[in-house]
Amino acid sequence: MTSIDLQQTRRFRWKKFATEGAGRLIIFLVGSVILWALISAFLIERPDRYLPSPLSVVLSSADMLYKGSLLSFYSDTLTRLLFGGAVGILIGIPVGLALGLNRTVADMFYPLMNFFQSVSGIAIFPIIVIWFGNSDTTVLIVVLYTSFFPITFNVLSGVRAVPVRYIQAARTLGASRLQVVRDVLLPGAMPSIAVGTRLSVGFAWRAVIAGEMLAGRPGLGNMIFSGQELDNSAQIILGMVMIGITWIVLDHYLLRPLEADTIERWGLVQR
Amino acid sequence: MTAISEFSIAIQRRVGRQRLRRGILGSIPFIFIIFLWELNTYFVWYEPIEIPPIADVWGAIFFMQSDCPGLVAAFQLHNDCQLSNNIMSSVGRVILAAVVGIPFGIAFGILAGINRTISGYLEPVGIFMNSVSGIAWIPLAIVWFGVGWETTLFIMLNTIFWLIFFNTMMGVRAVPKVLVHGVQTLGGSRFDTIWNVYLPGAMPSIITGMRMSLAFGWRALIAAEMIGGDSGLGFMIFVSAVEFKTEEVFLGVILISLIYLMSDRWLLVPLEKWTIERWGLVWKPT
Amino acid sequence: MSGEAKLIIQDLCHHYPDEYTGQSVHALEGINLQVYENEFVAIVGPSGCGKTTLLNIVAGLLPYREGRAMVDGVEIRGPGPDRGVVFQEHAILPWRTVARNIGHGLELQRVPKEETRRRVQEYIDLVGLTGFENRYPHELSGGMKQRVAVARTLCADPVIMLMDEPFAAVDAQTRITLQDELNRIVMATHKTILFITHSVEEAAFLGDRCIVFSRRPGRIKTEIKIDIPREQRVWKEMGTNPKFTEARDQILHLVRQEVTSDDEH
Repeated sequence: MTSIDLQQTRRFRWKKFATEGAGRLIIFLVGSVILWALISAFLIERPDRYLPSPLSVVLSSADMLYKGSLLSFYSDTLTRLLFGGAVGILIGIPVGLALGLNRTVADMFYPLMNFFQSVSGIAIFPIIVIWFGNSDTTVLIVVLYTSFFPITFNVLSGVRAVPVRYIQAARTLGASRLQVVRDVLLPGAMPSIAVGTRLSVGFAWRAVIAGEMLAGRPGLGNMIFSGQELDNSAQIILGMVMIGITWIVLDHYLLRPLEADTIERWGLVQR
Repeated sequence: MTAISEFSIAIQRRVGRQRLRRGILGSIPFIFIIFLWELNTYFVWYEPIEIPPIADVWGAIFFMQSDCPGLVAAFQLHNDCQLSNNIMSSVGRVILAAVVGIPFGIAFGILAGINRTISGYLEPVGIFMNSVSGIAWIPLAIVWFGVGWETTLFIMLNTIFWLIFFNTMMGVRAVPKVLVHGVQTLGGSRFDTIWNVYLPGAMPSIITGMRMSLAFGWRALIAAEMIGGDSGLGFMIFVSAVEFKTEEVFLGVILISLIYLMSDRWLLVPLEKWTIERWGLVWKPT
Repeated sequence: MSGEAKLIIQDLCHHYPDEYTGQSVHALEGINLQVYENEFVAIVGPSGCGKTTLLNIVAGLLPYREGRAMVDGVEIRGPGPDRGVVFQEHAILPWRTVARNIGHGLELQRVPKEETRRRVQEYIDLVGLTGFENRYPHELSGGMKQRVAVARTLCADPVIMLMDEPFAAVDAQTRITLQDELNRIVMATHKTILFITHSVEEAAFLGDRCIVFSRRPGRIKTEIKIDIPREQRVWKEMGTNPKFTEARDQILHLVRQEVTSDDEH
């Protein structure tokens, strides 16, 4: 290999590192923190109020970690999401399946489910507050509501979308009704279960944050809201970053692989 | 008898048997719910303050508009037209945010999407912004703009812009290079490739982005109006809930749902169908 | 061959870094080639021999540093309407109807609407798509899409038409029909064509001259003249034409040498 070739190869490797995968992410992160620090230091008039520097956000997080409030807020929020989301999904899947089994029943409930999954959970918050007051129950019901309907609707339409031919084929092989459900309808609805799960968890996550803000229950949502009330902008930004990162981790490492996996394995494409 | 059966056959022909069947079946649960709701009014299982009678919810429309001098005044946002003012202020924010956010989102999305290196760096920005977008911005927006019109507009705009930007960028990136080369070898300039290839190629993805921004943005807007607004449907239901005017809360929730459903079904879904079916394109969400 | 050289390539070399390892790949080595007016030159070679690289350089889609490439005496710098390309994949735009796809080149060159319409209709008739003017590409078969692509390129009236394995993605039956039709179109329009293919039969059937490429780095191995008048080039008769079979076997032998010489390494 000549020296020119070697140089070219080296430049290529650097370019590859800088434009792909982990290297790109590192450069991006470092770059955006520097940009943020510069904007905060030179462009904003009162940075402590309008855009605190990265350092003050880090200090704020250290402070809250030391006091123990950060971890407790975080675990409160995650518990609400896990509980509300899991219960909603665990009820939603069988309900969706049951409603989807019979064509008449499915046609009957399709518009209803579609309507309720479009109604945002945050909008019904005031009604729930009237019923249950500003309590943990209120937040949980809103989260449950937002996670239940998207998954139920998706499972319902997923079961309906399984081609009748498959069911007929299984029946001619001598499958019973139960076996048709287990071997044909459930696997056939798997992609929509995955898509619905992702939607449900996504809406539930937003509902948790909004619910905590509105009901004033301890958690990340309340942490950023009180940050505004206490004039502590570093706390707001810390909360926002945590909300964003939590969702990215959840979405990219759990929900999206689940979705891609089921859709790919069955060789099915939605829509 | 014959007249009735003739009538039913005529309707079946006009609407289509399947659609008619689905329509009737689908309305059964709604009718049932309304029936139960009405029963509650007579038997009072739950107090009116918990579940108000349907007549009260209907009456709330006229009560809230009772001081409104007339239709013209309603459009001029007269102070006494409570309900129409709140509807128009929510819808107006969506329209204003769409008018500003969609063109900017598309423009920046195309510029970023054409260049692989730039879009590689901006992809995490888009992902992060879409993950935080909406509700989580509300407290910071209140710090920046105070409670009121600007905060709610900012929340909506923020949601729309990042979703459109991200979807446009991903859509542009998915446009096959060979289509671009085809136009270039016909003598097309940079502008021609944007206008004739990248923009229509990213269209299905842009429209998906529009549907998503309405879905997420509308929810975020309602939340923002509740927390940091001084007008709009979200503000209305929040204030009414504090004053325990449950019928106004129900009315507001129904209106919020109907406005969203109508704009999605009658505006965005037809738009999506039109481009996707006509051009035979399928957009797979990434 | 009579006439002036429309495309001149002198001492063209090309290297590029491999996408995964980053090592320099030697794609083309010392290419010298001329394509004359009204000539049909077919380039054939084993896969990965750099023939598509050559076409991309001529199309202006790939910048080159060593050597020269000129069309009509003008150095190639980026893509332009003087070199029309028919790609292997269907490069026609899904959001334009057949007629608007074919007229796209003229539209980009700001040709008046009336003339555009007249010329588009002429080429629609030429490629046999009459009646399909207002269809969208997804409503057409693969063969018809490629006809649209050919008509679109011809309609823009390029100095030289470049074709990159245009019939590789269609089924065998359609391919034969399309090859026959391309012959008819060449007779009708007298276009200068540089045609890339990996099918020896296709090259021998269509080309006035066949260039055989060596394995990577791509070099011109041999050049074979096929002296059969266009009128006789119809699949029904070609199968038994001794000139055709002889040229085909000769090219096949040369290409096979390239493929099997792999084993010695």
